[in-house]
Amino acid sequence: MEHVHTLPVTPTSKKRNPAQLLGFAMMACLIIAAIGGPELIGVNPAKQSLLSTLERPSFAHPLGTDHLGRDMAARLLSGAQLSLSLALLSVITAGLPGTILGVLAAWFGGWTDRILGAFADAILALPGLLLVLMLAAISPGSWWALYAGISLTLWVEYFRYTRQRARIVLAEPSVEASRMLGLGPWLLVCRHLIPEIGPGLLTIAAFGAATAVTSVAALGFVSVGIRPPTAEWGVMMTELLPYWREAPFLILQPVACLVITVLALHLSVGGLRRP
Amino acid sequence: MSISIEVKGLSVFAGPTRLMGPVSFQVPQGGTLVVMGETGAGKSLIAQAILGTLPSSLRAEGEITVNGRRVDHLSITERAKLWGREIATLPQEPWRALNPLMHAFRQVKETHLFVANRTKPEAAAETKQAFETLSLSGAENRLPGALSGGMAQRVAFAAATAANAPILLADEPTKGLDAERHAKVVERLAEVPQTGGTLLAITHEAAVARRLGGDILVLRDGELVEQGSTTTILAAPADRYTQSLLEADPQNWPKSKPSDIGKTVLRVHDLAVARGKKRLFEGFNLDLRAGEKVALTGPSGIGKTTLLDAMAGLLKPVSGSVSREKTLSKHSIQKLYQDPPAAFPNRVRLKHTLQDVARLNKTNWSDVLQILEQLGIHASLLERKPDEVSGGELQRISIARALTVKPKVILADEPTSRLDPITQRETLAMLDGIARANQIAIVLVTHDKNISAKWSDRTISLG
Repeated sequence: MEHVHTLPVTPTSKKRNPAQLLGFAMMACLIIAAIGGPELIGVNPAKQSLLSTLERPSFAHPLGTDHLGRDMAARLLSGAQLSLSLALLSVITAGLPGTILGVLAAWFGGWTDRILGAFADAILALPGLLLVLMLAAISPGSWWALYAGISLTLWVEYFRYTRQRARIVLAEPSVEASRMLGLGPWLLVCRHLIPEIGPGLLTIAAFGAATAVTSVAALGFVSVGIRPPTAEWGVMMTELLPYWREAPFLILQPVACLVITVLALHLSVGGLRRP
Repeated sequence: MSISIEVKGLSVFAGPTRLMGPVSFQVPQGGTLVVMGETGAGKSLIAQAILGTLPSSLRAEGEITVNGRRVDHLSITERAKLWGREIATLPQEPWRALNPLMHAFRQVKETHLFVANRTKPEAAAETKQAFETLSLSGAENRLPGALSGGMAQRVAFAAATAANAPILLADEPTKGLDAERHAKVVERLAEVPQTGGTLLAITHEAAVARRLGGDILVLRDGELVEQGSTTTILAAPADRYTQSLLEADPQNWPKSKPSDIGKTVLRVHDLAVARGKKRLFEGFNLDLRAGEKVALTGPSGIGKTTLLDAMAGLLKPVSGSVSREKTLSKHSIQKLYQDPPAAFPNRVRLKHTLQDVARLNKTNWSDVLQILEQLGIHASLLERKPDEVSGGELQRISIARALTVKPKVILADEPTSRLDPITQRETLAMLDGIARANQIAIVLVTHDKNISAKWSDRTISLG
């Protein structure tokens, strides 16, 4: 070769922004807390002690006790377990079918696309919380109704995003080239679609998880979702609301947990990045 | 005569690395400056530095004076006021510069309205006039996606020049145009200085530079190689690099010797194809023989790409037939694309892409490596992703990818129109060598009459 010229490889910067690292760290703490649950500190979150209610933080109860003398730390951990597992479950059950249907709609187009699109639009026409309320009314207080309702509203976003992106990717010459070179549908999805839409799906998943966590708490707070005595952040807010004058530090705790979780999820996908 | 653009000691940096410069030049009002060099030589950086549109990761140093006013230290909002009014630009890839959701006519009318501040009826009349002069009649209510490359270019030209800015920056204005349109665009650019305008044209084509005249800067890897009067430098280039640029001009290629032609591999009989509802052509016949090199030419928009798609079996013809020789499999027809990066899954390492193809077609990896070596591609490049290698390298890798399937026919859709002349010559020479060595028939779509005359065994003109 008389004249070969090569582009210098620009080292792709793997450096994440500090906010994202903070998000990862917060998520890690939350996940550890959720996996460990109340066993992490070895205290039963349901054990009442009416002689020591609304106590300030002490050595025995690092975060104090609630109006029935139950340990706050244990109850918050138990709440984290519930919220995060529900969020994870609904993300998976919304994300998988949403993504697969989106790929199918983009791949086949025509009637498949129209029918699936109309179905998604119909779900979108209902306010999400209303759908959850309807399901919760069928089976009040049960967590599965809550979970089913949440994933039923969340899948639409995955579907719409995947369909839109996949349609563009599948129309690219590179897909045509790969087909002519003998790549089958599975490889086309793995090589062309997943790398292209994966990062976007992760962002939707994190935002969806945040929505799920807040929905569970919101429904618990208005006494439609999880019922007492289960330790759930929304339920705890309702229970502790009457005592906000005597023990303001108590109601602040589940609120803080909720804020931290949502913030951690948004930060870890770079959601608060400046444009 | 007053000076339109004056540049003193302009350099462009990425961090501490100097990408381009230092260059200094003056263009008088009514003058022409041609910047010539290969892709990646930093030609566009000069235009971007003058406009103030360098990507934020890059930094320019030096003095830039436009119509007697220093602009290099102005804020971007101040500099934006010059755009369209003092300096008009013809973008490099016009189809990307147009708003995909707005009809062609409205896009041009908008410039008349908002940049030139004309009244609505005036703007409409001016736009109509411009569409007529640029023979764009019929394209008024089309979206950019429905325009051919040449048409998009002319729409962009109409929009860019609507406000009669005295300075025109044209960045590779002839890229991807067919011979006829190519000549027209060059003529139109040549008229700019005659009507008192100032022209700064960026090109890699010696023929374009020759026609535009004026002064020339030759850049290589960001460094100034030669500077002076265009006629003098092109007549007697002092630098070795300028010479090789001139030699790479298809006009100066030697005629390739005839190929060794075998039996028919692909027969196209009485073919008619349509794109959407528009019938492009009918009654097309072709007997493609093994080892044969056929050039397919014709004005843009005539349906050359569509014809290739029909031959590849990607598109159902309206009538007529395409038949492969019996022993040939579906994969024995392969395609090369105009824009190499668009032909690769862009987030996957090249090695994985090639390995997939080799595995699926039961080709030994060592054979693939051997093909790559023949094409002058070092195996270490395969660790990269498609956007981390140059266009010329990627096109050679895509040739290697096609060869992995052991094709008998390669349909090449302007595979070198995005490459600079030196790389273009190398790439087509390699394609020629490969066709000879493996008895592969090649159909090359090109709009360069010189390429079709010098490179192919025979030429088919559409339209």
